[in-house]
Amino acid sequence: MPPRRDAEYMDVDSDSDVSIGGRKGKGKEKAGEKRRKDKGKGKATEAAYTWEASYTRSWDTVQEDEAGSLQGAVEDWMARGRRRRLLAPAAPVRRTIIRHLVLLLDLSTSMLDRDMRPTRFDLMLQYAREFIVEWFDQNPLGQIGVVGMRAGIGERVGEMSGNPQDVLKAIADRHKLEPTGEPSLQNSIELARSSMNHLPTHSSREILIIFGSLTTCDPHNIHDTLDACVANKIRISVVALAAEMKICRELCDKTGGQFGVAMNEGHFKDLLFELIPPPAQRALSRAAGAGAANPAADLMMMGFPTRLPDASPPSLCVCHSELRSEGFLCPRCLAKVCDVPTDCDICDLMVVSSPHLARSYHHLFPVKPYTAVASMADPSSSNGCHGCARVFPIAGLSGVSEGMSPVGRYRCPECFGEFCSDCDVFVHDVLHCCPGCGK
Amino acid sequence: MDDDSKGSHLSVVVDLSPLYWARSALPAPENEFPLTLAAFLAQLLAFLNAHVACAHENTLAVFGAFPGKSILLYASSAPIPDGLAPDTNSANAYPPFNAVDAAVVQRITAELDALPEQDEEAPSALVGALAKALCYVNRFTLPPSANSKAQANGFHPGVLPDPRILVLSVSPDLATSYIPVMNAIFSAQKLKATIDVCQIYGPNTVFLQQAAHLTGGSYIFLERRDALLQYLIMSFLPPPAIRRTLSVPTQEQVDFRAACFCHKRIIDIGFVCSVCLSIFCAPLPVCTTCR
Repeated sequence: MPPRRDAEYMDVDSDSDVSIGGRKGKGKEKAGEKRRKDKGKGKATEAAYTWEASYTRSWDTVQEDEAGSLQGAVEDWMARGRRRRLLAPAAPVRRTIIRHLVLLLDLSTSMLDRDMRPTRFDLMLQYAREFIVEWFDQNPLGQIGVVGMRAGIGERVGEMSGNPQDVLKAIADRHKLEPTGEPSLQNSIELARSSMNHLPTHSSREILIIFGSLTTCDPHNIHDTLDACVANKIRISVVALAAEMKICRELCDKTGGQFGVAMNEGHFKDLLFELIPPPAQRALSRAAGAGAANPAADLMMMGFPTRLPDASPPSLCVCHSELRSEGFLCPRCLAKVCDVPTDCDICDLMVVSSPHLARSYHHLFPVKPYTAVASMADPSSSNGCHGCARVFPIAGLSGVSEGMSPVGRYRCPECFGEFCSDCDVFVHDVLHCCPGCGK
Repeated sequence: MDDDSKGSHLSVVVDLSPLYWARSALPAPENEFPLTLAAFLAQLLAFLNAHVACAHENTLAVFGAFPGKSILLYASSAPIPDGLAPDTNSANAYPPFNAVDAAVVQRITAELDALPEQDEEAPSALVGALAKALCYVNRFTLPPSANSKAQANGFHPGVLPDPRILVLSVSPDLATSYIPVMNAIFSAQKLKATIDVCQIYGPNTVFLQQAAHLTGGSYIFLERRDALLQYLIMSFLPPPAIRRTLSVPTQEQVDFRAACFCHKRIIDIGFVCSVCLSIFCAPLPVCTTCR
């Protein structure tokens, strides 16, 4: 949501004039990202990486217009988001919704480097927490496990869990995760792989590595591990904080994951958050998977339970044999289970609540992008936003960039309702349902 | 009230389906407690006035869901159009009450008159109205931007304290609206808005039950429809912060059923695609959503 992101980048930047440790070149956050995006403007090429950047003043990165307003800068930011949405493919892609992810955190001494502030380690923990919250929001049926790599071994930090609170608790205490020694990619990937071995075939297996080191100390040939991952259909993605390593690139390329080197704090977050939406399934695995061999196995039988209130008469639950009032009734055998999603202990039906499933539907049925209304001659009779009833500006803005409407109106291609830019962003990013046509 | 200076925001979504209101008005053999649209509106307006009267800072927006169309009936932030100016000769009325009453009644009358004569009525656009209510809440939750006209109107934009949405529904569940309703629920959760539901006529609605449950609101199935105003004032007038200390009726059971994608039937046991989680009521050889 642009205004929020904008505010955040303002306050990250606002302390960039405070020098810690007298080193130059740390105060470059989103500013660098911004420049990267409009490369070729002279300034862009000379400062791309954090360590190459010179001293930046946060107030230089936002340009005021003649009237002294920041409107132009904000609008420009929103336009970028709009264009990205228009570029997204309109055709439905097959996505894996039930995901299993192991988050591999580098806890080696290289994470104490201060090129990302406060340190790579603290920043990684902070972003990892935000990542987990957002990930569970978009993948409610997914599970995350956490593995740390330090002192040459891989250690299990958090068990595979579908509860965001459990995962967050695992990485809550930074003192337990204090970085030491060398990382070992092979040991930790093997650990992650073994914890995902038992998973059913319809779920995805993914490993996300946040890697700050430039070395790895492995007991055996890491390429054997790579082959095993390919055989197990594990997708490995790496976000590197230092520089590209051949083995990391190869891990991603061979398993179909994404590889990226973070240039600065903002870019680090972008790389991480790009991995949140469920990945599109590759054509290869589709042919080999359910489509060809046993198509019926593609569907699972699930039951949608009825929730009993706190005030209902207590009865024994089938999962713990405890006497309690609240619970969920399995629709097939009417047994009472304590929590969903679960498998019913009596009839083995998978019991899920429909909101769990519905959270991911917006990936399947996205709202069509609105088209920007080009001129005042075009608008229909409406003088207020179709969503929030805000009155449209009378005078057109001048000098707007591509993808923006000079009159501040965006039209739905289905119902021809006109929306303001705030509603456009809200409808596509949060609501996922057009207020005009109700789709 | 936890903070008197801020007031609270209420968005009311009124289901105005002529078909179900006509059924609701049928006398004794069909309905034990008939309720006509006119009687309903009188009670609704009393409730709206009560909300406005609670605190000077309270804001109000009323959305109407007509067959196939939803419109904003009244918003306290927007100026009243000239055509709907309140009656100036009623000197004894409190002007804000007058403004709400006039705007709501006149717009509803105009919309109902404009409805085309059809044998089959389009289902009421409850989802559209709900989505608009969320857009409206979102508009005032956002930090003010320079092009918003709100400042010019003297309305202070800024964060709305505990926004609430009250849905007054008379239509049964519309299975085609399952996904949009769910999306609206999740957006309400993100906006920290509470959705209250009062089902005035017809059977319990599964989707609205879930909406109230998931956003921490209350769902009330109206049994004595002649006592509507009492229900409204006792259960929906106090903001959620106060409701914790009051004993507001809660729902007995929440139905977590879903609608299948193939026939739009509401089912309790379904077949779910393992890849995209589409729900079907019968086993299919291949998922039609993701193929």
